[in-house]
Amino acid sequence: MRYEAKVALRYLLSSKMQTALLIGGVGVGVLVFCFMSALINGLASYQIEQTVGSIPHITIEPREQTPKVLGGTDGTLILPAILRDNTQRSQIRAWQTVLDTVLADDNVRLAVPVVAGNGFITRGQAVQPVSITGVNPEQLSEVAAIGPAIIKGTTDLDLNGIIIGSRLARNLSIDVGQTLVIRSDRGGQRDVKVRGIFSIGVESLDERVAYMNFKAAKALLNLDNGISRIEIKLKDLDVAPALSASFAVSTGLKVTSWVEKNKRLFDAIQGQGSTGSLIKFFSIVTIIIGVSSALLLTTVRRKSEIGIMRSMGMTKGFINRVFVIQGVLIGLLGAAVGSSGAFAFTTLVMQLAVRADGSRVFPIDPSQGAYVAGIMLATVASTVAAILPARAASRVDPLEAISQ
Amino acid sequence: MTTTIEKPTEKVAERAPLLSVAGLTKNYVIGDLVTPVLKGIDFDIYPGEFVAMLGPSGSGKSTLLSILGTLLKPTAGHFFMLGNDLTEADERELTKFRNRNIGFVFQYHHLLPDFTALENVMFPAVASKLMDDVEAEVRATMLLNRVGLGHRLNYRATKLSGGQKQRVALARALMNNPALVLADEPTGNLDRESAHQVMELLAEINAESGTTFLISTHDPEIAKRCQRKITIIDGKVDSIETNPTVKQDLAAA
Repeated sequence: MRYEAKVALRYLLSSKMQTALLIGGVGVGVLVFCFMSALINGLASYQIEQTVGSIPHITIEPREQTPKVLGGTDGTLILPAILRDNTQRSQIRAWQTVLDTVLADDNVRLAVPVVAGNGFITRGQAVQPVSITGVNPEQLSEVAAIGPAIIKGTTDLDLNGIIIGSRLARNLSIDVGQTLVIRSDRGGQRDVKVRGIFSIGVESLDERVAYMNFKAAKALLNLDNGISRIEIKLKDLDVAPALSASFAVSTGLKVTSWVEKNKRLFDAIQGQGSTGSLIKFFSIVTIIIGVSSALLLTTVRRKSEIGIMRSMGMTKGFINRVFVIQGVLIGLLGAAVGSSGAFAFTTLVMQLAVRADGSRVFPIDPSQGAYVAGIMLATVASTVAAILPARAASRVDPLEAISQ
Repeated sequence: MTTTIEKPTEKVAERAPLLSVAGLTKNYVIGDLVTPVLKGIDFDIYPGEFVAMLGPSGSGKSTLLSILGTLLKPTAGHFFMLGNDLTEADERELTKFRNRNIGFVFQYHHLLPDFTALENVMFPAVASKLMDDVEAEVRATMLLNRVGLGHRLNYRATKLSGGQKQRVALARALMNNPALVLADEPTGNLDRESAHQVMELLAEINAESGTTFLISTHDPEIAKRCQRKITIIDGKVDSIETNPTVKQDLAAA
């Protein structure tokens, strides 16, 4: 193998321009591969981060009532139906126990009890419906990413505080520090002061959502003994589906992971991934075609040398290996050039393509360039590409080659 | 025409033949067209002999050398070398046999252009792992010194003159200490001076080392230096003559 490698290296060095172009070609293929990986994976991470940052990874809610069977003696029709108990509010009663169970799991970073319900805000003659979310003040940022969206005031939620959206504030002509009356659909009523105004940019949220102190909201919504849901944040997003199934069993409640609630996002990410894979596939095909055609030309050019080597008693395997090694070397060098180029390029794009507000034009992530996969695939592709020329070379008839 | 078959001298013929050719035929077939090139060749070559093979173009000399060099299969007949029936061997065996026992010198040197003179000569031994690098380098250096190119060891093949290239090719043919060197018009591409030098070398090496040479040539001057002349005409042995002016028992027994 050592001498085959020597011949292969000598061949590559003797045609420096061709070798440089080949390595460059493989390098560009790997660069496209890694760049696409960094872009597609970066985009997926960005989308997940954007979505998951503001939503719970797992939500535990009261169980939906199951259909009860009516009638059912011999010969009679059985009609399943849900009997709603409208006198009872849907709530998690022994929520502290559930919270303790959840927090005992190592995967859980945070579990936040939340109360939620509907109500109205009145100010003078104006009445606006709102969706009330009650949460412990120190956990507000975990339930809603409104911190950066606050345009006025603070996120401090004392017992008499409320944070409302910008459209709601405008509709009610209200500002930070002013008092308003909030009434729940359960008949509760409370005077609250506006502590902060947020603008998320989504009309329905900016118009309908209000955040209150957990205890105050509990009383307002008449949920003295229970809560509406527990929102959980995990250390690792990927365990969400499995963990939610496990919590469903251990708590007997309705447990939903963020994956189930964001199927469309997943479909979109998968779609992006497939498009990226297709582009990456073609970059690998390009490497194979490029290396194969160049090495095939080399076999033609080196025909008489191959012939003389065969006449000197070199086996077909020897000739085969000389060409396959060339493929391996081109692949390795091209992959090294391409992957380091891709890292430099993606880093440059990340640093330069920035909007005036500091946000990035491309959500590219240089650390997600799939460099190892790129290097391995390019090397394998280049090696595979060398097989055809290697076989052609090993089949050279020494007599015909020498007589040329 | 009368066919003259002269045996080598008694002293040479006492030994077992190195190469024995018996009823060798070769037909080239293109579609339905069968062209007989060799029509039953018989001769023996003994160890240490220096034999010329003469004949006009198209007489079948090159085809015969290719068959004897195991690069081409005959249509019928047999040839034996060192006791092996090479017509029966498979390709793998022939490749190994060729590497160990046969040296080639062609009309064109066919040196590997990206390698130095020394590397070219070492090639048949190291690439087939017959010798390690050190052993091969010592022998290749000795051979290049012998052919007068000790001062060109590390020259790229492309930097050498035509005569020098052919002398490197000769050293390469001798690298694995073959029993037989087949030379096909070895001086055909050289100027008179270089041709003379190469021919001198072939004869000297034959005399010194006892390596057997079978040289295909058109040149009557070369033929005069050989102990025997095998003349091939129209695919048959026309004559085998002993050259009385050349010393017959050159080779070491």
